[in-house]
Amino acid sequence: MSGKEYPRVSTHKTRQVLTDTFTCVRCGLTVTGAAPGGGRRNHCPSCLHSLHVLDRAEGGPSECGSRMAPISIAVLRGGDWMLIHRCTRCGELTSNPISGDDNQLILMRMAVRPLAEPPFPLETFGDL
Amino acid sequence: MPRRKPAERRPQRRKDVRHGEPGDAFRCVGCRLDVPVTAPGTAHRNHCPNCLTSRHVDHRVPGDRRAACRGRMAPVSVTVRDDGEWLIIHHCQSCGGLSANRIAGDDNALALVRIAMRPLSDDRLRVGALLSL
Repeated sequence: MSGKEYPRVSTHKTRQVLTDTFTCVRCGLTVTGAAPGGGRRNHCPSCLHSLHVLDRAEGGPSECGSRMAPISIAVLRGGDWMLIHRCTRCGELTSNPISGDDNQLILMRMAVRPLAEPPFPLETFGDL
Repeated sequence: MPRRKPAERRPQRRKDVRHGEPGDAFRCVGCRLDVPVTAPGTAHRNHCPNCLTSRHVDHRVPGDRRAACRGRMAPVSVTVRDDGEWLIIHHCQSCGGLSANRIAGDDNALALVRIAMRPLSDDRLRVGALLSL
């Protein structure tokens, strides 16, 4: 095997990583834990909602455990796209990488939504 | 141009936390602009109106000044509340933390629109949305 190392399916742990699933708290879809890119998935690809299980400010597991709603797409300096989630109960923000099979319509809606309700007239930018 | 949100607005909460640095101005860590704390349209200014850069001083509650990081926070995206208010999402360059703050009335509109247009200017999202229809 050259280059990328493929996980062996024989051990118990890798099989668990490859086959574990979770149920989306919002739409009830059963989602595989492995993303198509090979990483781990932590939000539902259909409605993009997540669960507050990791405490970002302190580190470690979170006591909140409630639903996290997607609020925006962030493009980092390196070109990576992150999905920003906000917890609906405690308001904490997390960022997660976007996987390939995420719902493109919801991503588009989140990207367009600020421009649909601008706080200043956007007509002046046509002159620039 | 008439206001688009003529509805009555809830007044912002008073700050009841003690701030570490008294004073009426701060200097932006990005562009070195001297920024007065009082801002039109918001009572909780935490970023530079010119380059929108902020500084990581608050830990979990806005205004608590408990973060030991003090890193530069770059604006990465813009989101909208249910009532139509824009929020800037800041990303700390040294520890990776995130925070959200309402925009002020004198924030640089061109910088705000550039951040909001960043995901739309990439072909991946447009092509993906069209393909999924």
